[in-house]
Amino acid sequence: MRHYETTYILRPNLGEEQFTEIIERTNNIISSDGGSVICLDRWGIKRLAYEIKKEVQGYYVYLNYAAPGKTVDEIERIFKIDDRMLRFLTIKLGDSMNAEAIEAEKQRIEEKAAALASAESEDTEDEEFDDESSEDESTED
Amino acid sequence: MAQPKKIFSRRRVCRFCTDKDVTIDYKDPKTLRNFVTERGKIIPRRIYGTCAKHQRQLTEAVKRARQLALLPYMGPTQF
Repeated sequence: MRHYETTYILRPNLGEEQFTEIIERTNNIISSDGGSVICLDRWGIKRLAYEIKKEVQGYYVYLNYAAPGKTVDEIERIFKIDDRMLRFLTIKLGDSMNAEAIEAEKQRIEEKAAALASAESEDTEDEEFDDESSEDESTED
Repeated sequence: MAQPKKIFSRRRVCRFCTDKDVTIDYKDPKTLRNFVTERGKIIPRRIYGTCAKHQRQLTEAVKRARQLALLPYMGPTQF
């Protein structure tokens, strides 16, 4: 078992039902291969930085799971066939994963989510760094 | 001519080494935006003073974010 995370983008105009169907199907592949889903996060419809297949928006789904390597092959094979899929990216996070590590990972994600929720209220302090960068560029060369 | 142009001895320390709160994550385009130009290029480390290790992680993260359309490969060409 290895630890992976996959983010995929669906066409935005499919409707909630089809989103759920695709997500369910993906999760079923993982569980039928003996893997387990650690965290599923629907980021929802976001604006794409550039057009993909003539779409300017996309429905993002983030999936964090432990599964054997061949599961990833299978998932990606199906993603490639499906033309409702705009883009996907799988990243390997760890080489081995047992039940204990899965629990630990679940806990870590929960804690992170809690921390994020509390931090959200006191956000918006990144701005000042931004304009400094452009000034830096002009001094170079 | 009168005085040498480059006198700035400003922030030469890596932002990620000094500030533990800032993490490099390809899923977080808001933070990564600070490290690319308006055109979407990755800012070299001779300008920001990022250490080699973090610059490597940063490039990787930016490239992944680009694949997922979280960051542009190329920003707007006219402003």
